[in-house]
Amino acid sequence: MNNNGTTFLKMNNVNVFYDSIQALKNISLEVAKSEFVVLIGANGAGKSTLLKSILNIQAPKGSIKFKGKELTKLHTDKIVANGISIIPEGHLIFNSMSVLENLQLGTYHGKKKEQSIENIFGYFPILRERKEQTAGTLSGGEQQMLSIGRGLLSDPELILVDEPSLGLAPKIVNDIFDILVKLNNVGYTILLSEQNAKKSLEIADRAYVLETGNIVMEGQADDLLNDEEIKDAYLGGSI
Amino acid sequence: MHILEEAFRARGKLMEFFIAQVLNGLSLGSIYVLLVTGFNLMLLVAKIIQFAYPQFVVISMYATWAVLRATNNVILAILVTIVVSIFLNLLSEPIFRRITSIKGTDINATFVASIGLSMVLVEIMSHSLNQGFPISFSDNWVGGSVFRYGIINISRSSIFAWVGGIIVVVAFFYLLYRTMVGRLFRAIAENRHVAKLFGIPIFKTSMMSYLIAGLLGGFIALLLSMLIGTASPWLGESVALKVLAVSIVAGLGNLKGGLFVGLALGVVESVAIGYVAGSWSNVIAFVIMLIVILAKPKGLFGAAVE
Repeated sequence: MNNNGTTFLKMNNVNVFYDSIQALKNISLEVAKSEFVVLIGANGAGKSTLLKSILNIQAPKGSIKFKGKELTKLHTDKIVANGISIIPEGHLIFNSMSVLENLQLGTYHGKKKEQSIENIFGYFPILRERKEQTAGTLSGGEQQMLSIGRGLLSDPELILVDEPSLGLAPKIVNDIFDILVKLNNVGYTILLSEQNAKKSLEIADRAYVLETGNIVMEGQADDLLNDEEIKDAYLGGSI
Repeated sequence: MHILEEAFRARGKLMEFFIAQVLNGLSLGSIYVLLVTGFNLMLLVAKIIQFAYPQFVVISMYATWAVLRATNNVILAILVTIVVSIFLNLLSEPIFRRITSIKGTDINATFVASIGLSMVLVEIMSHSLNQGFPISFSDNWVGGSVFRYGIINISRSSIFAWVGGIIVVVAFFYLLYRTMVGRLFRAIAENRHVAKLFGIPIFKTSMMSYLIAGLLGGFIALLLSMLIGTASPWLGESVALKVLAVSIVAGLGNLKGGLFVGLALGVVESVAIGYVAGSWSNVIAFVIMLIVILAKPKGLFGAAVE
């Protein structure tokens, strides 16, 4: 759990409210450096809200520390500058702008801008071919690649990935998961929110299970894969 | 028949007369283009309807006039005008930010607030600046005629308005499409939420839009003071109505559409002045715009904001 004495990401008693509805209840969670952690749970369990609270897109109450620094009072852009990026649900990009412009916007907080974009083209050669194309005309899978590529360009250490498989064909989903594993292998820390519990538990180190805004279970991904309760609740349908 | 038209018809100079009016209209149109560009920029990036923007231009014209009168130093007048314009626009930012941060308000609240701000500024100007009397700029500043062909008379200030207009528009679109600041502007204009997810600094970029609009406003003040040679506390409001109309007719927030409609309004107005009594030119311009809006409610080129 420790990296030079301080925890990498630590959420302590975090609550999030949408007006009067409480979406997250006393969430405490930790992610170590270079770990691959997955949040599983049904639609509406609060997985997306949890990721958004880390970036202060949904204002959190409680404490969220990244490398010892308190995030809850920072604006989103400052949190991104501190080394966290989000790859949002529904591969959100700027549809009217070109692929290259989307990547250039991604480099706003990054350092070696040109070189980094070249690296992304290395990961996703299709993006190089389409760099002058309007991002809105890409296929769903290509948009997801652009979204991931863009997310890497702010030089993050921690990447929050929100439901990357949503709306994509199974073949593409496999590709995207392979990419996430590769990114984790080269040192990126990943916190993934995913409804596809089986697939994500297979690639993650650890997992948290969310139900109606609460963490109801946590543990090693392998253990959860073999847990009877988890099997019944989350794996039964998706195997 | 209008008396001027009649006179020139009698002398067989009808075509020359028409061309002269169109050229005048293009200079006036350049000013509208620049105004609507600054207005649209703040609409797209800062998400405000800044009705008082032309008032800031008028106050900047007063600054030009005051510096010229006190020092007769053209460079200083230009610098002060631009600084005053930028300063006024930046100064208004906290007001609009306060309004937009109140829960449940939308862009219309900024519209109402800016109308109020505009009225306050008119009052202040009409009481405190030059005792409320209109100001006029010296002949040196306005400049004379540089080209004359029959009744076609091209003044130095018209050339400044055309060339200045083109240079500023080209520079603005270069900024918008070729620089990081421009990409940030377009990103926030397209989708504020996605911009936030990208880690784009919303506040800083919004401030940049006020700054660029202020810079534009400074240029407008300089060109307009040369072109019309006068300013009054009431100039801003009639201009503001036209800027708003141009933006709506082109399609709210449509920067490219604003170029076309801004120029077109200048020409229509100027030609109308030539053929009917001056006070009717506004009516004609607004009736044409009303017809366009009835036919195309989202504007000729499509609205860029909802």
